[in-house]
Amino acid sequence: MGKKHKFYEKGKRKRRDDEGSDDEEQLELEGVPQASKHNVEEKGDQTTSKDTYGAFDYRSQMELREDHESRPLWIATNGHIFLESFSPVYKHAKDFLITIAEPVCRPELIHEYKLTAYSLYAAVSVGLQTHDIIEYIKRLCKTSVPPGICEFIRSCTLSYGKVKLVLKKNRYYVESDFPDVIQRLIKNPDIQDCMMSPNEGLVSSERQKSQAIMFTSHQAQMAGTSDDPNNTTNTTDVPNGDTKEGEIVPEDITDFYDKIDKADEEEEEEKDMKTLSFEVNQDKIEILQKTCIGLDFPLLAEYDFKNDTVNEDIKIDLKPSAVLRPYQEKSLRKMFGNGRARSGIIVLPCGAGKSLVGVTACCTVNKKALVLCNSGVSVEQWKQQFKMWSTATDDMICRFTSDAKDKPFNAGILVTTYAMISHSQKRAYEAEQTMNWLKEQEWGIMVLDEVHTIPAKMFRRVLTIVQSHCKLGLTATLVREDDKIADLNFLIGPKLYEANWLELQKEGFIAKVQCAEVWCPMTPEFYREYLMAKVSDQKIKLLCALNPNKFRTCEFLIKYHENRNDKIIVFIDEVFALIHYAKTMQKLYICGKTGQKERMTIIQNFKLNPKVNTIFFSRVADTSFDIPEANVLIEISSQGGSRRQEAQRLGRILRAKKAAVAENFNAFFYALLSQDTREMGYSRKRQSFLINQGYAYRVVTPENMVGMDEEQLHYSTREEKMQLLEQILAASEADMYEDGLTGERSSSGSMRRSGNMRSLSGADDAIYGERRKGSKKDPKDQHYLFKKFRS
Amino acid sequence: MVNVFKGILIKCDPVMKQFLLHLDDTMKLGSKFVLVDLDECHLFVQPEVYNSLKNLIDEQYEKVYYNQKSSLE
Repeated sequence: MGKKHKFYEKGKRKRRDDEGSDDEEQLELEGVPQASKHNVEEKGDQTTSKDTYGAFDYRSQMELREDHESRPLWIATNGHIFLESFSPVYKHAKDFLITIAEPVCRPELIHEYKLTAYSLYAAVSVGLQTHDIIEYIKRLCKTSVPPGICEFIRSCTLSYGKVKLVLKKNRYYVESDFPDVIQRLIKNPDIQDCMMSPNEGLVSSERQKSQAIMFTSHQAQMAGTSDDPNNTTNTTDVPNGDTKEGEIVPEDITDFYDKIDKADEEEEEEKDMKTLSFEVNQDKIEILQKTCIGLDFPLLAEYDFKNDTVNEDIKIDLKPSAVLRPYQEKSLRKMFGNGRARSGIIVLPCGAGKSLVGVTACCTVNKKALVLCNSGVSVEQWKQQFKMWSTATDDMICRFTSDAKDKPFNAGILVTTYAMISHSQKRAYEAEQTMNWLKEQEWGIMVLDEVHTIPAKMFRRVLTIVQSHCKLGLTATLVREDDKIADLNFLIGPKLYEANWLELQKEGFIAKVQCAEVWCPMTPEFYREYLMAKVSDQKIKLLCALNPNKFRTCEFLIKYHENRNDKIIVFIDEVFALIHYAKTMQKLYICGKTGQKERMTIIQNFKLNPKVNTIFFSRVADTSFDIPEANVLIEISSQGGSRRQEAQRLGRILRAKKAAVAENFNAFFYALLSQDTREMGYSRKRQSFLINQGYAYRVVTPENMVGMDEEQLHYSTREEKMQLLEQILAASEADMYEDGLTGERSSSGSMRRSGNMRSLSGADDAIYGERRKGSKKDPKDQHYLFKKFRS
Repeated sequence: MVNVFKGILIKCDPVMKQFLLHLDDTMKLGSKFVLVDLDECHLFVQPEVYNSLKNLIDEQYEKVYYNQKSSLE
């Protein structure tokens, strides 16, 4: 690249603002600091001139530096950062950028990041200082840093992270290293109200030296060397692998990397650091937090668990066999960096061992732990994980679900679901007892699994019920189709760590997946019905899903992979189609109606029985369904353009496979699309998340499917196809819904009888069924998030 | 008696033919335009609809592939 730098305009983010929910929005924004509303993006775009193609021309605002070739990144005035992943200093820059900015898109060679108020907040909370951030950016940048960016960083970071709310020996203190800040705070009358003893004033204390916690890492020595910043240039796996010896790394970059990397731990070593603190009345914490946010000094919550003598240790430890992988260790180091536990979110791909991170965090804190997940199955899986990785025994782990209620009274770890806790109706006596116990406890750590699924409201409710010192959110996909994800940053804590999928794949920690979208042409008859659009939305989905060509392709793929001894899972959203596929091909299926026991049996069979190689799933299995054996995934139909669903489904086959040869693909993901239907457009959107993670989709057209004509497949004749079409058109509405997710919906079969007199007079539940049919069409009810939580 | 029609022969895949027939049925262009339905892949249509057909096909393409307003339906 010469002296001309162009950055193409980013499409403006589409915001779906529901007219009616303004009040709600207001409510949810509460508790989010003012500074986060600064928008660097728009400001930057306005001031930059564009050329005829709509590309930005930054030549007037930035100056190219002389040694630009050895520096890895550009920063545009709109806050977007572009990083060369083939640069020799890539590793230095990557670790830093992941801390201060959100990754937008990470394909092979150039990575794009974006500075946001949230990401900077996160950076400050893990111990970076404003001037360090600006200084390091200046050193890494190929050009001069636009002044607007420096200004933005300053405005977002100066007030953050200066004051901390610390829980010591069960008493709350507000702590700060900055005398002027804390002086300002105590002058505020509201805050004075919250103080325990306003007359006493500030307590100054010498900062105790606390040691950063060490984690036993995957091959400790290896990790040791690769963490040593001086060696990184030689040991890093630069993607194209050809780091030339002659290439010069500017010294200032390496020096500074050292400093930044150790920022956390180093901070503790400065000897004459004085900390000012005052004690706070526990009942007024809420008010205090609000006031501080109003003053633009949000409180960082930290938990000094080592000095907590009031809550007993639960005495669990990691088993010696549990070794953390380097990225797991890194993410935990961010959490426990200064010897205390911070609240925050850790983002790791599905199958990369999120549970182990959770278990390790619990063992480190070693106080009472509460694990929240979103289904009964994952409760069981968490229990297993605890038993596998830690010394916790059966009686220490208590499950609290509608099926399994263990006696909690001497348990150290409680595993439950979000729905269980936030359930607002009357409970059984036993459950009530457990809830009371739960409310009384002071939890050391709360682990929130699949944290992206909880809406802010539900989360608030959980927070009012449960008292916990620190919160750890775990997720693979920190995206949502509504823009509510940012709120989580302030409700739980900043994002502490986000792993790069492609790098984990390269190192063999997750499976290497070949993604393909297979285009299946619609048959003329089906397309005719599709175009007529006389039928309901559900039927259109069915027509796309049951397209005979799709069926044949699916069958062909299943046969092909079964011959290779692969384990295959197939996802179909529509229950009618699901049952039809499964029965025609004589395979097992699991949908919402399938009972817990039956599910377990089917999955056990899939794991162990060599005759069961394929299972069909409805969307119940999208998340937290651990099926490590599966390595082929076929997606027949999906839920509109949900990026998250795509990523979560891919996650089902991401768990590292045993015969992992790094060169070859060892897992396959096929998305079957009916050509010329809206599925094609949805798939663009669905794939965007994975493409941003660096995945590439291969397009397979019918011509590429070699050998399909020779196979004996269903629906080869026109008559068979016509029959299928008739079946679809004849199917009643009731047959088509995914009804198992909420128990009440399974009764909707009664709708078919709605012709008789009794039902017309409202004497039986058929009318009841009709009413519900109406409500199902309500867009609000259709929303899949709502569906999930009701279960 | 011999009838002579001037027209265009359209060759397309079966799915596209369905789309054209659908346009014909629903009178999207104001009137019927298909003269003869020849076979799976061929249609004989009136010559003057050529341009408007092209536009409609582009429109449909846009609709199917790019213009996805709501993602969660």
